[in-house]
Amino acid sequence: MTDYGHDLLFGTFITPTAQPAHRAVELAVVADRAGLDLATFQDHPYQPRFHDTWTLMSYAAARTERIHLSGNVLNLPLRPPAVLARSVASLDVLSGGRIELGLGAGGFWDPIVAMGGRRLTPGQSVAALEEGIGVIRQVWAVDDPGPVKVDGEYYQVAGAKRGPAPAHDVKIWVGAYKPRMLRLVGRAADGALPSLSYLPGGADDLAELNRHIDEGAEAAGRDPRAVRRLLNIGGRFAPAGRAFLDGPAEQWAEELAGLTLEHGVSAFILAADDPMTIERFAAEVAPATRQLVAEERTEGDDEQR
Amino acid sequence: MKLRVGVVTDRGEQAELAEALGYDLVVVRDAAGPLDAWTLLSWIAARTERIHLAADVAPPSRPAVLGRSAASLDLLSGGRVELALAGSPAAGEALDVIRGILDADEPGPLTYLGDHYRVPQAQRGPLPAHRVPVHVSGYGPDELRLAGRAADGWIASLDELEPGGLAAANKVIDEAARLAGREPEEIRRLLVIDPDVPLRELLTLRDQGVGAFLVHGDAAALERFAAEIAPALRSDEPDRKTRSSRVRAKRREGIDYDNVPPSLAEAAVEPGDLDYARVRNTYLRGGAPGLVLRARTTEQVVDALAFVRAHPGVPFGIRSAGHGVSGRSTNDGGIVLSVADMNAIEVVDEARRLVRIGPGARWVDVAATLAPYGWALSSGDYGGVGVGGLATAGGVGWLARAHGLTIDHLRAVEMVLADGTVVRASADENPDLFWAVRGAGANFGVVTSFEFEVDEVGDVGFGQFVVGADDPARLLVAWGNAIEAAPRDVSGQLIMGPRRPGQPSLAQVMAVVAAGEPEIVIDRLRPLAQVGPLYDQNVVLTPYAGIMANVAEGYHRGQGEPVSRSGLLEHLTPEFGAAVARMLAGGAVHWFQIRTVGGAVADVPPEATAYAHRSANFSVVAMGSDPRRVDAAWAELSGHFDGMYLSFETDRSPARLADAFPPATLARLRELKRRYDPHHLFRDNFTIDPRGGQR
Repeated sequence: MTDYGHDLLFGTFITPTAQPAHRAVELAVVADRAGLDLATFQDHPYQPRFHDTWTLMSYAAARTERIHLSGNVLNLPLRPPAVLARSVASLDVLSGGRIELGLGAGGFWDPIVAMGGRRLTPGQSVAALEEGIGVIRQVWAVDDPGPVKVDGEYYQVAGAKRGPAPAHDVKIWVGAYKPRMLRLVGRAADGALPSLSYLPGGADDLAELNRHIDEGAEAAGRDPRAVRRLLNIGGRFAPAGRAFLDGPAEQWAEELAGLTLEHGVSAFILAADDPMTIERFAAEVAPATRQLVAEERTEGDDEQR
Repeated sequence: MKLRVGVVTDRGEQAELAEALGYDLVVVRDAAGPLDAWTLLSWIAARTERIHLAADVAPPSRPAVLGRSAASLDLLSGGRVELALAGSPAAGEALDVIRGILDADEPGPLTYLGDHYRVPQAQRGPLPAHRVPVHVSGYGPDELRLAGRAADGWIASLDELEPGGLAAANKVIDEAARLAGREPEEIRRLLVIDPDVPLRELLTLRDQGVGAFLVHGDAAALERFAAEIAPALRSDEPDRKTRSSRVRAKRREGIDYDNVPPSLAEAAVEPGDLDYARVRNTYLRGGAPGLVLRARTTEQVVDALAFVRAHPGVPFGIRSAGHGVSGRSTNDGGIVLSVADMNAIEVVDEARRLVRIGPGARWVDVAATLAPYGWALSSGDYGGVGVGGLATAGGVGWLARAHGLTIDHLRAVEMVLADGTVVRASADENPDLFWAVRGAGANFGVVTSFEFEVDEVGDVGFGQFVVGADDPARLLVAWGNAIEAAPRDVSGQLIMGPRRPGQPSLAQVMAVVAAGEPEIVIDRLRPLAQVGPLYDQNVVLTPYAGIMANVAEGYHRGQGEPVSRSGLLEHLTPEFGAAVARMLAGGAVHWFQIRTVGGAVADVPPEATAYAHRSANFSVVAMGSDPRRVDAAWAELSGHFDGMYLSFETDRSPARLADAFPPATLARLRELKRRYDPHHLFRDNFTIDPRGGQR
């Protein structure tokens, strides 16, 4: 039982389809109006069936008012960190502080290389991601003295100007599954963002993921609670319960609240490309889950007292 | 080249102001402001509607990503994006890579191995909404030569030019352009100026070839420039569409490109144009027409046919939505008349359920428009098919047995004949033509408007079943018997493929029950689900429009030349089933389908329309890729058929006409062809030779 006590976030995971051109933007607008906290977009820069995710996010940010936007997750090997940091900060300024940075080390190396990226081993890609996060934080640290200087193994920045400063404290959330990456998240990131469907053991694997993140945080002298646990989920609404996240909204709420209270998941990002599902998730699942979690947390406090 | 007036800025509000003030272009320079230029440009794109948008950036470390980003933003902004690359040693390579990604219709992936960039095998695209211009900025000879060789424009600041510097730069650009086989006019010269440069000086610069003035300044300065200076700089000459040498180089022999009728010139598409990718191919096949004329009005169809009459030796195709299996809606090196944009759907008379539909409308849109009225019009089985091709040939689909063919609902057409005459044909006006257009329409003209009487159709039952097909002959007979025994509210189809080693043979059985009551639907579907061992099933109640919403998004990317053969027959006999089983075992046929006809289709007398094989209960299609092998396999079946359906036939030999039309029908069609198309204008779609022989 691990609940890190974060407020809950609910979001949607949108396919950045390029055809029809405005489909993904419209879904972000739907999520915004429905009151979700996050609109996130996959990023596969080598895939011409999709929009460029950064361009799409910038456009969608200008068409939405309240919702936060993030890549889920942005492909660091094809998005050099200094440029990415500047882009993220720029959009955060333009949008009034609504951008978060979902970041990934890269997974599909053949198409990354085909686009001109460098092939890395899994171990190298973790190291590159850590360097990249360092570059990004330096670019954002406008009050630090001097220009950005990084002479890393994967990234070199020779005296770039810092800034712009983001409008708010942009969170760095990393797509992470394996121990090395999870420990890096604990050390250097603000959140871990895995997909439930990629966990071979399902939600039970989250305990193991948390253990590595917590170890990484503690080894770096951080409070494990500084790291948010986000989760991409899929599901469907059905009149009768059939399976995990396959049933009525009340069932979803109970199952998601269970993930919060047992595994500390505090952000649920639903893969959904249709407005009705997005609206239902926002209107029925999010408030019910929040209520269940709030009740349990209060009860827990009472018991401790 | 029409002069453009733009604004250089690093602030989003200024871009919105520029649009409100009527400027043509906003340029965001990366080096100028605190914000990332591409991010800001994307933001601006979402906040503006009309103004064109350019980012002036240093060559990026991942030009392939920038190329894809530019294509994305061009799609999102409706074709308003431009790029400018700041001069540097890498600019030329970056430009080539970006152009390689943007040119999505070029064959194969982009491979670029340069000194600055290595892009081993990037996928091209997405295809932008318009051709994204890529400019170069800078003053050195390398930048100027690059602009001349490969860019769409050159950007410079007046402040940075020495006296006489513009003329000197122009000379270098012009020479480089000519050396690359380009015309100097293809490279627009964009000049960044202070808003207080006197008009007199600007007019001189304009006369020296400047094609765009880009001002920077505060809101008041932009307002003043827009109100006082810009109108005097702009000339009245219309922005005539010109094509670059690169586009002109791709023109095909025998087409008089320079004399395309003015009414069609703006929308015409040539092989080098960006939109060519969107109109060249069809659903199933690759095409390479030399010219696509896109008509929006009947008058434009008249003009197009006049142009085609002046090209007697050139292939000629007519395209509505480009689905056509028979493949006649594209060609190689010929002219295609596209009526895709003539896609209006309107209810003419609600009491009579009379609907007028343009030939370019797709059946998905027709069904969606009619659904709120509780109506439907019998069509094919796929929503992406266009009205024009289907409604001049037959129309065999999910409602055939209940409601007849599409053509059986036709009450009148407006069409343009070979000589350019616009006529109306109905039971009362030009009845011969009205008879011919229902089944052999492609031989007689271009229908510009259809009037249909549609049916009241509420929710229908739609069943999809996967059944075992280890004994295909037995399955076919069982399915055929079940269909013939079913009331006419049942229509459907059966699909089989070749046997795959190590896998069970499966068939898809699908059916629509034109009745909304679940008990009736189940009752009707049960016998169909029992024709073989059931592997999977799905039954829903849905509006007809729900079934037709089965369309893949995007433009057609068909490749190759599929072979499709068609036959009509009355009964699925054991002998026919055995012959099909042998054909499938042979492997030449990749896809085999039988659709149901009969029922209401057979209520119409054979002599009532040019589509005459009314007694058939089944329409059979076999598709493959090797014509010789498919034809050999098909020959084993052909003895079972009595007639065929043109829309599913790719064999262009004259003998097919005799399959499609019984002798009396064909004789009458030939006589009408002599009358309406004596010079054989409509020659490429199962043409009936007016001279009497079979071509």
